[in-house]
Amino acid sequence: MSGHDHFSSMTDRWYLDEGTWAKVRNALIFLAIIGWAGCAAGYTMDHDRFFRSYMVGFAYSTLTCLGGLFFLQVMYLTGSAWSVTVRRIIEHLVAAIPVCAILFIPVVLGIHNLYEWSHTEEVMKDHILSQKVGFLNETGFIIRGVVFFAIWSFLSWKITSQSLAQDKDQSIAHMDTASRWSAPGLVFTFLTVSLAAFDWLMSLAPHWYSTIFGLYIFAGGGWTFISTMMIICQLLRKNGILAKSITVEHYHDLGKWMFATTAFWSYIAFSQYMLIWYANLPEETIWYKVRWEGGWEVLSYLLIVGHFFFPFLVLLARGSKRNLGLMFGMAFWVLFIEYIDLYFVIMPNFYKSPAPHWMDFFGWLAPVATVGVVFWSRFRGKALVPVGDLRLEQSLVHQNL
Amino acid sequence: MGLMSFFAPRVPKGVYGLMAEYDGPDTLIEACKAVRDAGYKKTDAFSPFPIHGIEDALGLPESKVGKIAILFSFTGATIALLMQWWTGVYGYKLIVGGKPFFAFEPSIPITFELTVLLSAFSSVVLMLLLNGLPRFHHPLFGAKDFHRVGDDRFMLVIEKSDPKFDENSTRQLLEGTHPKSTQVVESN
Repeated sequence: MSGHDHFSSMTDRWYLDEGTWAKVRNALIFLAIIGWAGCAAGYTMDHDRFFRSYMVGFAYSTLTCLGGLFFLQVMYLTGSAWSVTVRRIIEHLVAAIPVCAILFIPVVLGIHNLYEWSHTEEVMKDHILSQKVGFLNETGFIIRGVVFFAIWSFLSWKITSQSLAQDKDQSIAHMDTASRWSAPGLVFTFLTVSLAAFDWLMSLAPHWYSTIFGLYIFAGGGWTFISTMMIICQLLRKNGILAKSITVEHYHDLGKWMFATTAFWSYIAFSQYMLIWYANLPEETIWYKVRWEGGWEVLSYLLIVGHFFFPFLVLLARGSKRNLGLMFGMAFWVLFIEYIDLYFVIMPNFYKSPAPHWMDFFGWLAPVATVGVVFWSRFRGKALVPVGDLRLEQSLVHQNL
Repeated sequence: MGLMSFFAPRVPKGVYGLMAEYDGPDTLIEACKAVRDAGYKKTDAFSPFPIHGIEDALGLPESKVGKIAILFSFTGATIALLMQWWTGVYGYKLIVGGKPFFAFEPSIPITFELTVLLSAFSSVVLMLLLNGLPRFHHPLFGAKDFHRVGDDRFMLVIEKSDPKFDENSTRQLLEGTHPKSTQVVESN
């Protein structure tokens, strides 16, 4: 095939040199230290505010990694060849999921600062909450959290370890094993992420319920994940790493996924809103009511425009998905808007109007930088692409028709 | 080519173009590049399976379908919104469940459906029209061995309607790309 000509001109190095690796790791560790120092300072000043700001950052980083788990399993199940050159980077991000379990500890410690249902005396006075006590109680919350992270960590370890083992022996058996785990894995991932979204985010407003809420949250996680990939790959490219292996064709495909997740989130978010609007039940509409007053409506409008119309129309065109500079900018926009989305889900439960706080920044930086350190430290001594994957050559010459 | 062939499917009698046959996808791609670089536009390549990069090698422009279809999708959205607004507010005023006569929230699903419907239909119809389909016969069907491009042949054709076409110099160009054979395709 004609592709062989391209393949022989590949001169990318598939290992990072130690100096670059150490430099980036040191920068990330520095950021993580700043983040946690800011968090510690914030905690001593205002417990409530710290836990609330941290909750946004925790959800943000965990959902991004879980978005990666979704994509990794989908790629194995569909046997996708284009994604092979970017898959090692996905795997490293997914491998940070066990660390998100550690990031969950502050949420457990702040359970009384975050969740109304954790105050027994108030629950007993409240008819609805006392009916929900069988699910919304501290023991259940912690046990479920542990189970969720156990399932995710197991899946992430099971799948990423196959790919690393394949680097050594190039056996197709590893690919088959990973695909086999991905099928039940995807089912469990969706069920558990949905339940986790109910537990961690929806129960912040314990009277309110929406069955589609888990998908709403997960769709945002997939969105940030694919944009994070876009940024990481382009940053590597700017430094001459994998510049010939991850081509405009692969960015085009990442861009398609950005577009797809934009549309998916909008579909789910609108479905949730429209059903609640139509049924017009007070216990459901209250969630949107508090987000439509006191300044929160600015964020509501920003989400409609910034989470749907703007990215949808920009990403629709083939030309923009193949424009690396534009996609780099869009990816940062996505990361910003997804933060706004989680802020919009979490903060109106506590504040009548938006009150930005410096702790919001550190509450975001600490978990994100921690995940970044774990992600980056896995690059050491491992090939930057799954060199044992049998579809690697096919991926290198991949072209969109 | 294009829309016109739908309305005038008959190709003038006489020479339709020159066709060259190659022994594989690599030589076909090289030949496509040579023909493209020589400035020919009315060309086409045939192979038993899709060849990555052949669009570039032939210098084919990007499809116009998407750009026209998006106009149809905006039309669909506009029609849907106007229809629901007019029927709700003027045509058939009904109070349903205490809802306003017109609101965006319940109108979005229908707007979405009509947007998708018009863009999908227009894409399919445009694709057929721009490809010059439907048509019942094509001069290439008469070329020697052409029925085997669905099996094991790789062919490149330069049409006579190309402004640069000249039977001698075009043949020389094709001979220079190491084909297995060349032939003149006649339309009858």
